[in-house]
Amino acid sequence: MAGTFASFNTGLSALRYQRIAMDVAANNIANVTTDGYVRRRADAVSTGAAVQAALWSRSDDTAGGVALGSLDRMVDPFLDLRARREHGKQAFLDTRVAVLDRVESGIGEPGDSGVAAALDDFAAAWADLGNHPEREASRSAVLSAGATLADAVRVQAANVTTEIEDQVHHATDLGAEIDATAASLAEVNRSLAAAQLDGTDSNDLLDRRDELADRLSTLTGGEAKVRPDGGMDVTVNGTALVTGSTSSTVTVSGGSGGAPLVLGIDDGTTTTTVPTSAWGGRLGAVAELVTTTLPQHLAGLDGVAVTLATAVNTAHRTGYGLDGVSGRDYFAYDPDGAAGSLRVAITSPDQLGVAKVAGTFDGSNATAVGAQVEGAASSYQRLVNGFGSSVQSATRLASTQRLVTAQVEGSREQLTGVNLDEETLNLVAAQRAYEAAARVISTVDAVIDTLINRTGVTR
Amino acid sequence: MTTFRVTQTMLANSSLRSMQAGLGRLAAVQEQLTTGRVLNRPSDSPTDTTSAMRIRSSLAQAEQHARNADDAEGRLGLIDTTLGSMTSQVRRARELVQQGVNGASGPAARQALATEIDQLRESLLAEANTSYLQRPVFGGITTGTGAYDASGTWVGTAGAISRQVGSDVTVRVDVAGPDVFGAGDDSLFATLEAASTAVIGGDQAEMDAALTKLAGHLDKMGATQAVVGSRQAQVERAVVATGDAKLALITRLSDVENVDLPRALVDLKLQEVAYQAALGATARVTQPSLLDFLR
Repeated sequence: MAGTFASFNTGLSALRYQRIAMDVAANNIANVTTDGYVRRRADAVSTGAAVQAALWSRSDDTAGGVALGSLDRMVDPFLDLRARREHGKQAFLDTRVAVLDRVESGIGEPGDSGVAAALDDFAAAWADLGNHPEREASRSAVLSAGATLADAVRVQAANVTTEIEDQVHHATDLGAEIDATAASLAEVNRSLAAAQLDGTDSNDLLDRRDELADRLSTLTGGEAKVRPDGGMDVTVNGTALVTGSTSSTVTVSGGSGGAPLVLGIDDGTTTTTVPTSAWGGRLGAVAELVTTTLPQHLAGLDGVAVTLATAVNTAHRTGYGLDGVSGRDYFAYDPDGAAGSLRVAITSPDQLGVAKVAGTFDGSNATAVGAQVEGAASSYQRLVNGFGSSVQSATRLASTQRLVTAQVEGSREQLTGVNLDEETLNLVAAQRAYEAAARVISTVDAVIDTLINRTGVTR
Repeated sequence: MTTFRVTQTMLANSSLRSMQAGLGRLAAVQEQLTTGRVLNRPSDSPTDTTSAMRIRSSLAQAEQHARNADDAEGRLGLIDTTLGSMTSQVRRARELVQQGVNGASGPAARQALATEIDQLRESLLAEANTSYLQRPVFGGITTGTGAYDASGTWVGTAGAISRQVGSDVTVRVDVAGPDVFGAGDDSLFATLEAASTAVIGGDQAEMDAALTKLAGHLDKMGATQAVVGSRQAQVERAVVATGDAKLALITRLSDVENVDLPRALVDLKLQEVAYQAALGATARVTQPSLLDFLR
């Protein structure tokens, strides 16, 4: 049989629990827009009779009130894993698209100011010179059209080279950001391990941990794994970036000036080289651009420059200049980096190999040189087509990935997000329950008052 | 996505996403309309970009052919008129020699005939030095300014001058002096000199010989003029063909590169409506909450 004042305690436990419920609702509402916040739920357990049956001390309690069972953090580790992976892919593709877009806008095709237009103008200048080999103006026009063409090719090569250098810097910056994030995660891991020992509420730390792990996979595409002590380990291609409370740093070297980009993870004693293709996320995209896509485009430009220079020079060499000399090259270039070093080798209009017969105003060789431009033009068209296709496919992949990411993010939000209506209801329910519990106390109080003050009083 | 729970953040995110997408599509149509082009960068359509570049290059070639044809027409036209005028002068010279053969009475009369023949020769020599844009048309690829010197000797340099007037049409646009006026002692100018001497001397045999030679020259010049005429016709045909090709290329380029205005405008209107709908929906969906109804 419960004691006289037992119901007071039941009421009190209800007051306490409902206060906690209101607190939790208030905290959820307060954090409705906080990034990485996962909603909490106060789980109540009723404290009834003793759960363990005893032989000699039988309890005949009927009710013991309510207590906070646990403060649940509404997460699904599987969804978190998916979300991290998709965010890594998204970051990879977005970074790639951003850079390729920038390089593409420097191509300026199709239009009147790109390399294709300069090639056409160059061919036309030679053809005009073939028509009027005697004109000084036609000769000068060929020289300036050649210089314009070489400039246009060089500008494109410079665009790509600059982008490669910028991306190498970008990789270094990303490396520093990764180091800082990894260090923060290691710090959170340490606190989590401590919190688990002393039983502090670690939900805020877990939010922070998940956010940092998300950030790391966006940056590196690395894999995160929950530790038994509540922390999170992150590895890239099997090499540890964060293990418990220790973190490693990312090393970036090479990349510019033709040296290959080398990425590694330094744990303080040894540096493990991680292949550039094994990285994901933003650093992976930068590594891919610097080692594959951009150098490929640059090599294509070099190919166009070599095709152009070889064809034009071969035809030009057979022609005689006004000074009666033949066998001169029109274009000169440096074999490593042809597009970046293409220039006109002829310095004076009189040196142009216009005539097939020395000492005459024959223009047939100029006409022949003009006809050589077509090969370079079509190889340039192929290059632009190839680059355009890769930009297009990158853009498509990124927008498809956006749908997948949004879907996964939506599923995660379904579980972890705060719904204001729900919290308002929780708040109102707790308020009503609190009021009812207060009423219980005053009712019991009235009952006891009756018992003490009215018992035996007849009038 | 199977939805069992919806949160305000989800609503906000998805509204933001659809508004962004709508605004993005609006921006794409706007770009097409303001630039007037559907191809603004290679990735808009790599295949069409290649086509556009090819068409532009073909167009440049067609323009070059048109310029070449202009030049060819000028040269051939000048050669044609020059040969026409020279033919009539040679015919006149032949008449004068004929008068000498027919027995011009006195030495004074013969002298008069010979003087006129000499004048004709001078004038013919001047015409044989006719130049087009400072280049002698009968001088081949010479760097000099004339095709014949004062004595009637060809001083040009042998070599054909050709112009490409179509993608596979190349036309020769010069006539070498010796090919039409003969060379050495048989040249038109040597013949006229000999004829003049024969007329003064009354040398019947020489005059007869000169008559025969002049007839031969007239034949040759007539034949050359016919050849030049047929080349002119060839150039004119090529000009027409090039003009047609240019028109077709410009149309194709515009098909590939330029925006279809009515379609783009309708598109713009559609995207505008879609965007406004997204804005309106967002405004309505995010406004109410349970708090509005609880007192």
